[in-house]
Amino acid sequence: MIERTTMDNIAVIALNRPEKRNAMTPDMLIELQQSINALDNSTKAMVLVGNGKSFCAGFDLKMCAADPQGGTMRSLLTELSKAVALMRSQPFPIVLGVHGAAVAGGCALLGGADIVIAEHNTQLGYPVVKIGVSPAISAPYMMGSIPPGPVRSRLLDTQLISGARAYQIGLVHHLVDSPSDVRDKCIQHAQTLASKPGSGTRATKAWLNTITEPMTAHAQNGLNASLALTGSDEERQRLNALWGN
Amino acid sequence: MPDPVLLAINGPIATLTINRPDARNAMSIEILHAFHTALDQLADSDAHVLIITGAGRAFCAGMDLKAVLIELSGDPTLGGQLLSSLAELTLKLRALPLVTLASINGAAVGGGCGLACVCDISITHADAKLGFPEVDLGLCPAVIAPWVVKKLGQGVARSTMLMGGVMTGQQALDIGLVDHLADSRQELEQMTAEIANRLASGGPKALAATKALLNTIDGSTDPDLVRKGAKLSASILATPEAQATLSARMNPSK
Repeated sequence: MIERTTMDNIAVIALNRPEKRNAMTPDMLIELQQSINALDNSTKAMVLVGNGKSFCAGFDLKMCAADPQGGTMRSLLTELSKAVALMRSQPFPIVLGVHGAAVAGGCALLGGADIVIAEHNTQLGYPVVKIGVSPAISAPYMMGSIPPGPVRSRLLDTQLISGARAYQIGLVHHLVDSPSDVRDKCIQHAQTLASKPGSGTRATKAWLNTITEPMTAHAQNGLNASLALTGSDEERQRLNALWGN
Repeated sequence: MPDPVLLAINGPIATLTINRPDARNAMSIEILHAFHTALDQLADSDAHVLIITGAGRAFCAGMDLKAVLIELSGDPTLGGQLLSSLAELTLKLRALPLVTLASINGAAVGGGCGLACVCDISITHADAKLGFPEVDLGLCPAVIAPWVVKKLGQGVARSTMLMGGVMTGQQALDIGLVDHLADSRQELEQMTAEIANRLASGGPKALAATKALLNTIDGSTDPDLVRKGAKLSASILATPEAQATLSARMNPSK
């Protein structure tokens, strides 16, 4: 479910479950972490994109609804939190490119990236409160990225916003015109990053992580807040109503 | 030798001009010392608005690369001295009770662009070039990073500082690196005067109290991160990789 290719010193990782719009399963998120952990010291930049029509539609909710004990949802939340933290802790910069949809868990992956590129019609956001799920897991990273006002609006309101709007609020840093341009644009940016002397870039990323630490230190609180609702009556009823058999 | 920094006070409005046009106003130890002295003088003046600009075509090209390239300066401690002085200068500038307005007349690069981020308000024109190319040279903009983060927000600052390079005035306006954009350099002078006059129309105590509160809320009064940043920047600057990259940049024929 994860495709990894290497181009010189650049790792290109793609979510690869296109028939399900790259909906996340616990295994996919574990595989993503394994792919990142397998990168060696020569890596100077990483790209993360999605294969097919969308970057990522979020968690596989059908799978969640089919598991009344809530273990699947708990695994998804836990592995997602670990994957984002792992991305943030990499010594090299990460360019993430979205097209189609980057929804809920898909949008949460932006939190681990350093540079975000989007096609301007991409749909981004967190409609998850509709199914009784809290996007609190994303709050520390989003608070560590964009101003607090837009964070509240994005995490509490189920509305999806366009890539163009996401650029305006700082969630996205560069726009491209066509979904098919996203991958190439990400690779271009990664090549630019990889062409620089590495020590300054690594020190700068580590220093920015230090500056952002007061927000990302809440990562465990965010995960706990999301986990606390897993298996609740509200969640089970809403999830089943929309995704149950 | 001309004064490295010019300070003119006209009633409520003071103008500080970085005056080393033949070196694109790059920050040498002399510039930094004169800058410190000028800010100390302002603290005792009646001015309550400060315009910062550059003489000639550039605003400020950042650190004086000739001073930080050890093979040229012969003094491996000079880079650290410059960065430490810059760190203290940014803290002093931020703490100033005057409202500060960076009028970015031309290139504002690296530490020069960082200085603009320390100011309360910034204005440039469409043809100016701004940015943080430190990583292109193997350097780490750690002293100014806390200020850039406060100006741009953490995510945009991260993306901008890691990508390096420079941007146009319009791009700077789009990401919030500047607050106003003039069409041309001529118009910049006029807009700068207009904004400075508008700021000067405010009550000095009200302006100072508002600025002090903003400084408290956003952590500007805490010097730790900026001082640690100076040490980090200096340690990266001293690495063989950074020195070799700088040397190649200064001597393209070699």
